[in-house]
Amino acid sequence: MHQNSILLLFFFLMGIALIVFTYIFFSSKKADQGMSNPLKKRFWFFLILVFILGIFASVTIPNSPYFAHAGETPAKVVHVAAAQFIFYMSEQAIDPAKPSGHPIELPANEVVEFRVTSLDVNHGFAIYDETGRLITQTQAMPGYVNRLRYKFDQPGKYHVLCLEYCGIAHQIMRTSFTVN
Amino acid sequence: MESIKIKKITSVWIITVLVLFVASIVLGILMRLNQGGALNQAPINFYSNMTIHGLTMIGIWFVAGMAGINFLMERYVKTSYKANLTAFILTVIGVVMLWVITLVGKFHVAWTFLYPMPFKIMWAKWATPAFLVAMSILSIGWLIWSISMMTQILKKYSIAQAFAWQHFTKDPSVKTPPFILISMITLVGVITCLFVAVVLMALYFAEFLSKGSFVNDALLMKNLTYFFGHTIANEMLYLGLAVLYELFAEVGGKAKWQTSWYVALAWNFTLIFILTAFFHHLYMDFVQPEGFQIIGQLASYMASLPAAAVTVFSVWVAVYRTKIKWSLTNLLFFIGVAGWVIGGFGAVIDATISNNVVLHNTLWVPAHFHSYNVMGNVLFSLAFFYWFSIQFTEKVVNERLSKLVLSLLIIGGAGFLLAFYLGGADSIPRRYSNYPAEFTSAKPLALVGAAFATVYLIPILILFVTITKRCIKVLFSSR
Ligand code: HEM
Ligand SMILES: [Cu+2]
Repeated sequence: MHQNSILLLFFFLMGIALIVFTYIFFSSKKADQGMSNPLKKRFWFFLILVFILGIFASVTIPNSPYFAHAGETPAKVVHVAAAQFIFYMSEQAIDPAKPSGHPIELPANEVVEFRVTSLDVNHGFAIYDETGRLITQTQAMPGYVNRLRYKFDQPGKYHVLCLEYCGIAHQIMRTSFTVN
Repeated sequence: MESIKIKKITSVWIITVLVLFVASIVLGILMRLNQGGALNQAPINFYSNMTIHGLTMIGIWFVAGMAGINFLMERYVKTSYKANLTAFILTVIGVVMLWVITLVGKFHVAWTFLYPMPFKIMWAKWATPAFLVAMSILSIGWLIWSISMMTQILKKYSIAQAFAWQHFTKDPSVKTPPFILISMITLVGVITCLFVAVVLMALYFAEFLSKGSFVNDALLMKNLTYFFGHTIANEMLYLGLAVLYELFAEVGGKAKWQTSWYVALAWNFTLIFILTAFFHHLYMDFVQPEGFQIIGQLASYMASLPAAAVTVFSVWVAVYRTKIKWSLTNLLFFIGVAGWVIGGFGAVIDATISNNVVLHNTLWVPAHFHSYNVMGNVLFSLAFFYWFSIQFTEKVVNERLSKLVLSLLIIGGAGFLLAFYLGGADSIPRRYSNYPAEFTSAKPLALVGAAFATVYLIPILILFVTITKRCIKVLFSSR
């Protein structure tokens, strides 16, 4: 899973850093062969880093959520209006003056689009699967509509949590929907 | 060399920072205990604590860095005591106001006070205008200080020299000390982001005073907020690095580092990247133009390059197979660089848009930024504090105590941070006073975090006592 590979990558990099720092530290207890001015000659090190990061950027940027399913027509559109401390979700446009929502059912293996906005402060719209794993998210910002496209490949119940601090009941602001 | 006044004001800064640091750590531990279910604070108290914890920590480590470079700058140029003192007075006023506003007024907007939350009154009515005033006082006080320092640098060095541009030529006749170069680069960033803070406050005041006829744009406000917030949080790290460049070699008994064309280039680039990296805070705002999002990722990557390739590598080379006089000061620097690098990995991973989708506003965020603060920048500043405190008083360094301090810092810090990283990878949201039941690992991790944070607090208290004692002596000495 995505989070696991992230954690693994982090531990791997951390391990390397720890080894290098420890090794270098203990080498200073040995003979003196140091350079007089260490702020010199590290161009190759710089180049290697540029190279690694360049590859990393070019591989990851195309996977950004903005480009996901960009050319496709969503099978379903869900309007989301977040407000302190509740989510309204509806297949019709939501009237900010009289917001209301209804239970949502979405098709599996088809692209759906969430049109997410806020009626007061900034909120988050984060989708968690049944095991409690964050699978995707966008922000709910007053005055703007963020369009999040996603294709659910697992039927089941999904939870939505608020992932932008919005005040005193932020931690209990949530809703859910089903995918069949 | 340094005048007696600068010694005293630096001592006062150090004592103030340490007192507030201990208080804020206690608030941090209380938060973790509450998240772990060991305490049962009302959410409003939790979020007020969280707000003042964040604001105070950012504030104190910023001023700690400023006080550090101000003191060391006296080696090169005369600095303004008045500006330093003004900044101190305004900082105290601003910080006291913030503590009253959050703990008495229950103002709980988180340290990022994202628009329009300050206007959705869920606290004492006076708290919102008071907050805007306090933030303006702090921004203006710090602007005066940083502009004054920059002006003093520019009295001795030309603009080109201050940025070390002459090092791009074959034989630079004048050498810019790395300390001056980094201070200059950092001060430009600091002044820019404080200026943005003033603009931000002006926009808030405009809406507040217009009684509804003027309404701000949420996306613009978020961009401005993170331009300020992200940038100041990063520049304060560079202030710590300037101190490291000045002291690391010296304390180890080695020749001072010198600027090369390479160092000059790296730091000049840093200035550009650091000012555009803040876009990564808006990755999940899909209405933000895509170009900015991609600039955000590239700038975040590139901001790490010069730092890594120059500073980290220099520290390695300076230590590798070199007989160094290790002391508490340079060990704190060395460990701090390691913590900074590891936090940097966490940051680069999160600054990758496709990862950010599953990390944004999870505990991964406090994980990485606490890494390069708790185990990075704080250690740089503590190194300076300690170094400063033994300059003018008895030079005894108890080696066993140093070892104890360092081991506890490492153990406590690592455990505290690990609990955050694991929580982030487990999708646990940040800024939750209590965790929903489905996050089964959340409470145990919070308690582990609290326990290790308490371990971290012990060496901080030891340093607090030893450093403060010496600083108080400086205050009452006449030399
Ligand atoms: C061992 C010491 C520390 C402890 C125990 C601690 C604890 C915490 C906790 C529990 C949170 C809330 C996490 C959440 O979002 O759920 C937090 C947030 C934060 N901490 Fe710390 N922290 C410590 C040191 C620091 C330091 C050194 C800094 C320096 C910059 C810092 C800056 C912040 C900031 C800016 C926030 C965000 C506040 C917000 O969300 O508005 N902390 N800390
Ligand atoms: Cu929320």
